[in-house]
Amino acid sequence: MSLLHATWLPAIRTPTSSGRPALLVWADTWRVATPAGPGDTPAIHPFTLKPEDLRTWLSDKDLLPDGIIDATACLTLPSRAVKPRIKAKSSNSAPLDEDRSSSSWSGLPLQAGEPIPKTCEWWPWQVQGLAIEPGAATTWLSKLPLSGHHPDLGEELRWWSHLQRWALSLIARERWLPQVELSKGEGYPHRARWVPLLNREDDRRRLEELAAKLPLAATCALPWREPTGRRSNRMTRLRPEAMRAANPVASCRPRSGRLRVANLLEDLVDAQLRKGFKPNTEGLDPLLTAWQEALGSETGILTISDEEAERLTTASNHWREGVAGNVAPARTCLELFTPADGEDLWELRFALQAEADPSLKVAASTAWAAGSQVLQLGEIRVENPSEVLLEGMGRALTVFQPIERGLDSATPESMQLTPAEAFVLVRTAATQLRDVGVGVELPPSLSGGLASRLGLAIKAELSETSRGFTLGESLDWQWELMIGGVTLTLRELERLASKRSPLIRHKGAWIELRPNDLKNAERFCSANPDISLDDALRLTATEGDTLMRLPVHQFESGPRLQGVLEQYHQQKAPDPLPAPEGFRGQLRPYQERGLGWLAFLHRFDQGACLADDMGLGKTIQLLAFLQNLKAEHELKRPVLLIAPTSVLTNWKREALSFTPELKVQEHYGPKRPSTSITLQESLKEIDLVLTSYGLIQRDIDLLETIDWQGVVIDEAQAIKNPSAKQSQATRDIARPSKSNRFRIALTGTPVENRVSELWALMNFLNPRVLGEEDFFRQRYRLPIERYGDISSLKDLKARVSPFILRRLKTDKAIISDLPEKVELSEWVGLSKEQQVLYRKTVEETLDAIARSPRGQRHGKVLGLLTRLKQVCNHPALALKEKEVDQGFIVRSEKLQRLEEILEEVIEAGDRALLFTQFAEWGHLLQAYLQQRWHFDVPFLHGSTSKTERQAMVDRFQEDPRGPQLFLLSLKAGGVGLNLTRASHVFHIDRWWNPAVENQATDRAYRIGQSKRVMVHKFITSGSVEEKIDRMIIEKSRLAEDIIGSGEDWLGGLGVNQLRELVALDESGQE
Amino acid sequence: MKVDKNDLMTQTPTNSSAITTALSEEGLGQQPWWVEQWMELINSYRFKKRLERAWTYAREGNVTSIRFEGRRVHARVQGTDEDPYKVKLWLDVLNDEDWGYVLEALTQKARWSAQLLAGIMPSDIERAFAASGRRLFPFKLQEVRSECSCPDKANPCKHISAIYFLMGDRFSEDPFVLFQLRGRTRVKLLADLAEQRRAVLTAIAEAESNSKNEESPIIEELPIPPHPAVIEPSLWWKYDASLNSDLVVITPAMEGDTGLHAAGDLPLAEEPRFPEARQLFLNHLQKQGQALAQQAIIQAMAAGD
Repeated sequence: MSLLHATWLPAIRTPTSSGRPALLVWADTWRVATPAGPGDTPAIHPFTLKPEDLRTWLSDKDLLPDGIIDATACLTLPSRAVKPRIKAKSSNSAPLDEDRSSSSWSGLPLQAGEPIPKTCEWWPWQVQGLAIEPGAATTWLSKLPLSGHHPDLGEELRWWSHLQRWALSLIARERWLPQVELSKGEGYPHRARWVPLLNREDDRRRLEELAAKLPLAATCALPWREPTGRRSNRMTRLRPEAMRAANPVASCRPRSGRLRVANLLEDLVDAQLRKGFKPNTEGLDPLLTAWQEALGSETGILTISDEEAERLTTASNHWREGVAGNVAPARTCLELFTPADGEDLWELRFALQAEADPSLKVAASTAWAAGSQVLQLGEIRVENPSEVLLEGMGRALTVFQPIERGLDSATPESMQLTPAEAFVLVRTAATQLRDVGVGVELPPSLSGGLASRLGLAIKAELSETSRGFTLGESLDWQWELMIGGVTLTLRELERLASKRSPLIRHKGAWIELRPNDLKNAERFCSANPDISLDDALRLTATEGDTLMRLPVHQFESGPRLQGVLEQYHQQKAPDPLPAPEGFRGQLRPYQERGLGWLAFLHRFDQGACLADDMGLGKTIQLLAFLQNLKAEHELKRPVLLIAPTSVLTNWKREALSFTPELKVQEHYGPKRPSTSITLQESLKEIDLVLTSYGLIQRDIDLLETIDWQGVVIDEAQAIKNPSAKQSQATRDIARPSKSNRFRIALTGTPVENRVSELWALMNFLNPRVLGEEDFFRQRYRLPIERYGDISSLKDLKARVSPFILRRLKTDKAIISDLPEKVELSEWVGLSKEQQVLYRKTVEETLDAIARSPRGQRHGKVLGLLTRLKQVCNHPALALKEKEVDQGFIVRSEKLQRLEEILEEVIEAGDRALLFTQFAEWGHLLQAYLQQRWHFDVPFLHGSTSKTERQAMVDRFQEDPRGPQLFLLSLKAGGVGLNLTRASHVFHIDRWWNPAVENQATDRAYRIGQSKRVMVHKFITSGSVEEKIDRMIIEKSRLAEDIIGSGEDWLGGLGVNQLRELVALDESGQE
Repeated sequence: MKVDKNDLMTQTPTNSSAITTALSEEGLGQQPWWVEQWMELINSYRFKKRLERAWTYAREGNVTSIRFEGRRVHARVQGTDEDPYKVKLWLDVLNDEDWGYVLEALTQKARWSAQLLAGIMPSDIERAFAASGRRLFPFKLQEVRSECSCPDKANPCKHISAIYFLMGDRFSEDPFVLFQLRGRTRVKLLADLAEQRRAVLTAIAEAESNSKNEESPIIEELPIPPHPAVIEPSLWWKYDASLNSDLVVITPAMEGDTGLHAAGDLPLAEEPRFPEARQLFLNHLQKQGQALAQQAIIQAMAAGD
C-alpha cells in the first residue's frame, strides 16, 4: 500500500517561473529494491511511485490537486546501509573491492513505520512526485483531514493541514501586513510579500508547538550541491565524507524549527492572500501602484528601481516593526511579586524566558553578565541575550508606561510599582504585554486563571444511612467560599469588597475581587442548595465545573464517597467479584474485576458497555454476571440478549458449558412463538433469551409485550447507525415505560474513539448522558470529527468513560495472567443453503459407502468428510463455483463470523494469518476479502513459485504498510515460514491433526513474536466439525502429537460410527 | 513612531489648500515627534512667502527623487531647465570622539537602547547628544547645509526649500536616517552600543569581583546536542498532535483588532501629486482584507467535509 507525503520545496525552477516555492506531493510504496548509493547525483529513491501512477492513485482517492507539474527533488531521508551483493570476482581484484566498499555507501531509504535499524544515516535521494504551486497547494491542504488515522496519508500531512488551518485563522483575523522583500542579488527580482504577524501570545505559542512537532519529512528538501572534495576514483562513487561535507544534512540542521515553520507559514499566507487580492490602483502614485499590483500578482515581482525598492523595504519594515518583532528563541519576561509584609510597593523583576518553554528563565542580571556570550536556557541557545532583553523592554514600554522608571540605569534588574500600577498590570497590561511578545508572570493567586476567581471549596460524604447506590440521593456536605487558594466567609467577602481597592490581601494571599463576585456569593448563600451523588460525579469528573455559576476549586470527599467516586471514574481498578456459585469454570483476575464493574454499575442502575479486546472473554464475564444475579436470587424475569445471527450458536454453547443453571432459549427460526401468549408461555422459567438483530426489528411488537429484566446487546457496533430500524427497535426495548431494565452492551471495537457511534451506544445505555442527537452533533461530533478538537474529545471521554470498560490484551500490566497464546473456539452455524446441501451430501454418500467394497470405502469416507467440510466453509466451494457472486456472504455463516472478527482485527491495526486446506476456497476467499476491504490479500499456496513466496513473506514481514491479512494453504504455508508480524491465526477449516494445526500456528507464535497470539478455530456447530473436534480434544488429551498420519484414522470407522459422526445434529441448527 | 492607531484608518485626507497636512492643526498631534520637530524647524524660518511657493512647487511633483546616500541627501528637482537640478543636503557629522561621548551617555539609560532596538526613536534623545555638546537635530534651518545646481544665488532656493518640506515625511519612513546623516547607520549604532555596554558591564563585573571576591555567574557553554531526529529517526514522519482547540472554530478579528489597525499609518512619504494615495492604499487593503477573511472563514468551515 502506498503512503502519501508532502514536502515543501523552497524554490523550484520551471519554464514559467523561477525560484518560486512549491509543495511536492509524493508517495512511497514497498517493493523489493536494490540498494543504491549516491554518485554524481543522489540515487533515485527506489520506492516512490512514478508521477503517472501517482496521478492515477491520487485521482482514485479524490485527492488530485490542481496546478501540478511532474517534479523531482532531492530529499534527505534517514537511510539504512545495505551492502550490495558482491559478485564473485577473481582473487586479485579483491583489494580494490575492499577499498571501494569502505569508501562508498549503499543502502535504502527508510519508510515511515519501518523498524529503525541500529545505525541510521542520512542521505539525499532523488524523489519523483508532483509539484503544486503555492496557491493551489493551500487549497489542497485545506481539504486534508484535520484528525484521525488515514492509512493512505503520511502523518506529516496532518501537520500540514494544521499549519494551513493556522494560516486560514491568521487570514480570518487579518493578522498580516504587506511587505517588500529586496532582491537577494543580481538576477533576482524584488518582491511584494504578504507577511503574517505573529506577535499575539497564542500565535507565538502555536509557532513553538508546530515547530517542536515538525515532522522533518515536511521540510527535508535541500538543493543538491556537487561536492568539491577528492574523488576516490573518477568512475566510482564519491567519498562519503566529501558528499556529506558538501551537503550538510541532519546532523547540521538548525537547532530549532521555529524559523523554518515561520517561513512555511509565511509562504502559505502569502500564497492565499495573493490569490484572492484584487488590486485597485485608482488614485495611487506609481510606487504604491506597483506595490499593490505586485501584491495581487502570481509571482509578486516588483518592477521598480533598486532605490525605490530599498525605500519601500525600509518603510514597510519600519511599519511592521511597530507591531511585531523578529522570531527569537527567547523573550523578555516581567515577574510581579507581592509586597512584603507592611510594605505598599510591588516588585517587578526583569528576566529572560525561553519561547519554547516558559519555565526556562534567568534573571536579568545573568543576561547582562553574559555579555557577548551565548546564553544557555536549558538546551536553548540565546545569542546576544542583553539585546533580546532590551528590545523586549523597548516593546513593553509601548504598552505599559510605568516601566520607563525602571529603565533609568544601565543594567536594570527590577523596579517597584505602586498598588495602582500593579492593578493595571494585573487587569489589562499583562495581556497587552503578552501580545507584543513580552512574557508576564503574576503571583499565582492573581494569575487570571480559574483559581484566582471566586469559587467554592466543598467537603462531602455519603449520608450515614446511604450505601451510595442511587444517583439522586443527597449528600451530607459543607462548603466555603474560596479565592486564590484561600477560603473566606461571606462576611469577610463583604468587608473586603467594601474596601473599594481592587487588589486586597486576605489570609496572606493577594486576591483580586471582581464586581459580580459579591452578588454571586450572596445568591449562592441564600439558595443554600442540596447536592446529590449525581452532582458529585459531575463536579469531580472535569475541572472547572460550576455550581450555580461558582467554580468548584476543591472537592474533598469523605472516605466512603471517595470509594464510590474512584470506582465510578475508573481511577482505580474495579473491585473484583469472584465467580458466583453455579459458575462452571474459572475467572481470570481481570475477568473478576470486569464482573465487579458490571455489578457496580448495575447497582447504580446505569447501563454498562464492556468493550474488552477480542479474546478476553466478554461472553464469560456477562454469563458470570447473569449467574451472579441468579445466585443472589435477583434474576426474576428473563433477560433478552440480542446478537448477530452468526454468534448465537456461540452464545448457546458457552452458556451451556459455563452456566448450566441458566435456562436459555432461542427466539429464532420459523418455529419461534408468534403470539404474545405463546411467547409468555414459553418463557416461564427461562432466564436468558437469545435473538438476532434482524428479529428484534421484525418481532419488536411481540417482544415488547414481555417484561424483560434486562437487555444485552452483543457486537454493539450493530446499532451504530441511530436511524437504522434495528437500532431504533433495540433502543425501544431497552427503554420501557413501566419497569427498570438493566442495559449492557458488549463490543470488541474501540467504541470510545468512534465518536459517531458513541451517541447511539449511549442512547441505548444511558440516554441522559449525551443529550439529544442534534446537540451531540453540534457539541461533540462536528468539532471532534472534522477538526479533531481535543478539548471536546476530553470532555466527551470524561462523560462516557464511567460507562465503558475496555481492556486490551496488550496491557500486560493489567492482564498479566493471560497466556502468550490464546486459543479461541469460534462456534458457527449453517445457513439455510448450507443445511440443505449438507443433508443432501450425507444421504447420498452414506448409501454409496455402504454399498461399496471394503477396499474403496476408505477413500469414499475421506471424500465425504472433505465435501462436508467444504459445505461448512461455503456452498460455493462444494459446488465448485469459480466466482464470488452477489450475496456471497449470506450463503455461509462461517464467512459472516470470519468477516466480523476480521473487521476487529483490521480496525485494531493487527495482522492475521488465515489457513485453509482448500486452495479453491483460498482463491474464492482472496477475491472476496479483496473486494470487501479494497486492499491486497496475498495467497500463498502450492503453485506459488519460490520467488513469489519469498516476496510475499518479505512484504508481510517488512513492508511498513504491508497487507494485514495473509491467506495460506495449510500444506504450502504450514511449515518453515516466519510470519511473526501476525498476532492472529485463523484456522478456517479443520485438519484433524492437532500437530499440523499447531505447526501452522507456530508460523506466528515463535521466537521473534512480541505480542500475544490469538488462535481462532472455527467449528460448525452440530456438524462433523464439532464431533471430530470433540474426538480430538479427548484423544489429544492422551497424546497430542501421536496422530502422525493426517486424517487416515477416520477412514477406518464403521458405517454406523460414520453416520453418527457426519449426520447433522438438529439441535445445533435453527 | 507611536501613533494614535484608532484614527488612522478612518481619517479622510485633508484637501485644504493649507501648506501641508503636517502643518495643519489637527494633523500635528498625529505626527511622530521628529517629524513635528522638523516641521517646527521649517516654520521658524523667516521667509514665509518663499516657503509657501516652495510648498506649491513640491506639491506639483517637481521633486523627482530624494535619496539618502551615506551622510548626504541627494535630490533631483525639475525646474525650468530641461535637466532637473541637483540638490544636496547635509548636516555636520559628529566625529568619533563626539560619538564616543554620545554612546557613553546612551548606555547610561537602558531605556534608550531598549527603544532604539525596538525601532522607536526616544523623544529625549537630544539629552544623550548633549553629553558631547552636539545635537542630533539641527537647531536652526541654517545648520542644514545645502547646494543646488540652479542658477538662483539665494540659499535656500525654492528647490532646496521644496526638499525641506518633503524631508519630514521621509524621516518617518526611517527615523534612523538622522543618525546616518550624523555619521552612524542604525546597524553601526546598535553594534557600537552593544560593544559599549559590554565594556561597561565588564568594568562593573571586575569591580564587583574585586570588592566581593566572588566569582561572576558562570555561563555554561554546552556542546550543541544533535537534532532529536538524529537520535529518533522516526521523527521524520511522526506527528501525533491534535488540532489546537483555538483553531477548531475560525473566527474573524474583533472590530479594530486587525494587523492593519495595529500597524497604523504606513510610514511612507507622501507623493505630493497624489496626496490621498496612501490613505486609498490602506483603505483598499482593509476592504480586501475583510473580503479575504470572509473567504478564509468559509473555506475553514468546509474543511473535513
